[in-house]
Amino acid sequence: MATATAKPEVFTRKASGLVRVMSPFSAFVYNILTMGLIFPWTYLWAPGALPGGKLVWGILLAMVIEIPIALVYVWLSTALPRSGGDYVFQSRVFGGGVAFTVVMSGYVIWILQWVALSGWLLSYLGFAPLFLGLGATLGNTALSNLGVWFTGATGIIITSILNAFVAALILISGFKNYVRFQNVMIVGTLLAFFTMLVVLFTGNPASSAAHLDAFAKAIAGVDNFVQTARDASVAAGIDLNPPFSLIATLLVAPIAWTSLQWATYSAQQNGEIKNARSFNSQMFIIVGSLIFTGILLALLAAALEKAVGTEFLYIAGAGYWAGVSEATIAGFWLWPNIIAVALTASPLVVVLIGIGYILNSHQIVHNCYIGMTRVMVAMSLDRLLPEWVSRVDEKRHTPANAHWAYFIASIPVIFLYNLYPGWVGLTLGVTFACGYVFVVTCLAGALLPYRAKDVYEASPGAKYKLGGVPLVTILGIIGFILGAIMLLMFMFDPRLGLTSPLAYGIVFGVLAVSAVWYFIAKNMQKSRGINVEYAFKEIPPE
Amino acid sequence: MKFFSKKNAKKTTRLFFATDLHGSERTFRKFINAGKFYEANVLVMGGDIQGKLLIPIIKEANGHYRATVQGRVERMATQEELAGLTARLDTLGFYYKVMDEDEFRTLSANPKAVDALFHEEARKKLSRWVDLAEERLNGTGIKCFVTGGNDDEWDVLSSLKREGTQSLVACENEMVYVDNDHTMISIGISTPTPWKTPRETTEEELGKMIEEMAAKVPDMNKAIFNFHDPPKDSTLDTCPMLDWTKDPPEQIVQGGQPVMHGAGSRSVREAIEKYKPMLGLHGHIHESQSVARIGRTVCINPGSEYGEGILRGCLVNFVDGEVVGYQMTSG
Repeated sequence: MATATAKPEVFTRKASGLVRVMSPFSAFVYNILTMGLIFPWTYLWAPGALPGGKLVWGILLAMVIEIPIALVYVWLSTALPRSGGDYVFQSRVFGGGVAFTVVMSGYVIWILQWVALSGWLLSYLGFAPLFLGLGATLGNTALSNLGVWFTGATGIIITSILNAFVAALILISGFKNYVRFQNVMIVGTLLAFFTMLVVLFTGNPASSAAHLDAFAKAIAGVDNFVQTARDASVAAGIDLNPPFSLIATLLVAPIAWTSLQWATYSAQQNGEIKNARSFNSQMFIIVGSLIFTGILLALLAAALEKAVGTEFLYIAGAGYWAGVSEATIAGFWLWPNIIAVALTASPLVVVLIGIGYILNSHQIVHNCYIGMTRVMVAMSLDRLLPEWVSRVDEKRHTPANAHWAYFIASIPVIFLYNLYPGWVGLTLGVTFACGYVFVVTCLAGALLPYRAKDVYEASPGAKYKLGGVPLVTILGIIGFILGAIMLLMFMFDPRLGLTSPLAYGIVFGVLAVSAVWYFIAKNMQKSRGINVEYAFKEIPPE
Repeated sequence: MKFFSKKNAKKTTRLFFATDLHGSERTFRKFINAGKFYEANVLVMGGDIQGKLLIPIIKEANGHYRATVQGRVERMATQEELAGLTARLDTLGFYYKVMDEDEFRTLSANPKAVDALFHEEARKKLSRWVDLAEERLNGTGIKCFVTGGNDDEWDVLSSLKREGTQSLVACENEMVYVDNDHTMISIGISTPTPWKTPRETTEEELGKMIEEMAAKVPDMNKAIFNFHDPPKDSTLDTCPMLDWTKDPPEQIVQGGQPVMHGAGSRSVREAIEKYKPMLGLHGHIHESQSVARIGRTVCINPGSEYGEGILRGCLVNFVDGEVVGYQMTSG
């Protein structure tokens, strides 16, 4: 073959090669959707549990804390632009035992709870406000009753199972069908979010109180709702005007981390992202999406405070955290979207917000499947999960078995989340568990130049040093420390919900199950002449 | 293993397969060391061993050097920096040549000269690799079988064929014994690609070549088909569909997203379905790391990440015509 062309100071020849399908912009958007503009806990959990904490500052603090972590992922993604993300990074640096135990427990098992949370969000924050809002604005009791049904355990469980089932079907039918649907979900989500922002920014506490009263009257037949909720909250000992608290503000960050920690999720798909080895692309995808989402979430907090006032946020928080039933509407907690729905008299706005929340809620379960089935396939190819998990459907090119396995495994978690007393308190357990995956990956990033020297030196980030120390090592240590502080807050501060015996039992139980699984799988494969450690060990070239 | 030993008294053969190294020095060195590292008896390299890029390292008038690597101009002031660059280019699988500005300009204006330089550098590197394999595998008992792929030039591959080699076997278009029982036939040519690479042919011609090779196999139950092109629609061949009319080829996008398809060979699939060999070793589609069973045949594509200096491969244990275990590796 004689064809050779001269490009600027490089000679190339005709040869076939790897083609990556996902554009950096798509990956950027994917991260934003994964971070979940609609995750609501910060806006109710924080005022309820952390009086004196500043929402806006707490969210921005979470964003700042996440930046060094995100930068470590930029370095790792350019050094190892492969699908599998954390599992690949950790196995390369620490070997299979650590990587499998951490990723299997923190991701594969704990993210089953995100499947349940996705269904809960869809039912409670998607369908319920839509029908409650339409019922109120159109004066239709049947719609209001339907909305209330979506807030009950039966409604949420049925919605959650269907939500997971439909997502599995879409993804198994072919990734292209998901990508088409993703475009719809992006538009719907952003439209809803900005509609909500406009509604809240144009509101003020005085007019909002009147709107909330009218909404509560239409939905639950309650008179003078705001004043009643205020009185009940005060009677329950809630301080509606607490002084500023630095500690409380710092503790807002771990809750906001529930969203912002997902800025790195595109790393699971690095093998499919164009220019994944480019620093600029990864900076845009990971750090760019983090800052974009962080600012939007802080704006939402500011808009919410402007619309209803700080005092009412504590009332809404009392309904959620302290169980003050008068501070709910028909038992429904006052999430930002339900407040926005209450403030508008327009069915169109209600529909826009409702559909956006429905789409983003549903999108979350897709993200769970997409990321976790890739990890499961990688684990199966490493012979740590059964062989059938990695089988790919010949016609649709999707790992159908892995999808069905994950769907089936999510069903008991859906029931536990909605029926088992106290399980809701483990909501932020996913943040904690995924948090330890990110923190261990930070450590992997810090050690990459020493434990995987060849990989590091061939990467574009190798040239960045500070005082002779690889910059990724410095960032990795900073990310590890900041992330570890967040984890310690979860482990020791009861206001974040993970200090109960149930929580400790599940967190350490899941870790132990994963470690035992690795041990058993390793020994089973050994009996077949397979050393699973070979999957992770680097062959010395010399 | 005791249970296994009772069932099969014969010794298990462990084969390590890797493919599509595209000139990467570091991954080839790992490949040669893989035998000892993984305790494998047989090494098989599945083709596309030639590099794609040649980086002119231009010596400037002030004695410094510059080179364009991955779209970025890099400048080197010292010999240490130059050595660092060449080591990295080896990892990436890029050929390089130090030249002055005049030589670069002359070369740039003459595509035939560039082509000749590519061939020369590729032959030199492949010849060095043969030396390395012979040196490192000498006395180990490990056999290393190497074939070309569609990206490799015929004349460059001729560097593999050398009289008197003890460990390295250039096995393309040959029927070889990988152990006392099992045979392997190897074909590196592929069906047409959008890149119009050096060694392509039609499905019909490839089918005929396979038939000719298959006729040499004494026992299909104990046969390995080492065909660079993977079987069509097997999940070993999934990649984006490309527009062949563009240069370089571009992805076909429908509904805002790339169309994926199976780009493997129909002839390869039909041959596997017809002859039912024990094992199929394939490459070609770097992004489609997968294992599939077509009938009784275990078909493997370990994928390729040569650019990161990572040797992707697959260890396969077999005995008496049966694959008893396999595992993907990422060394």
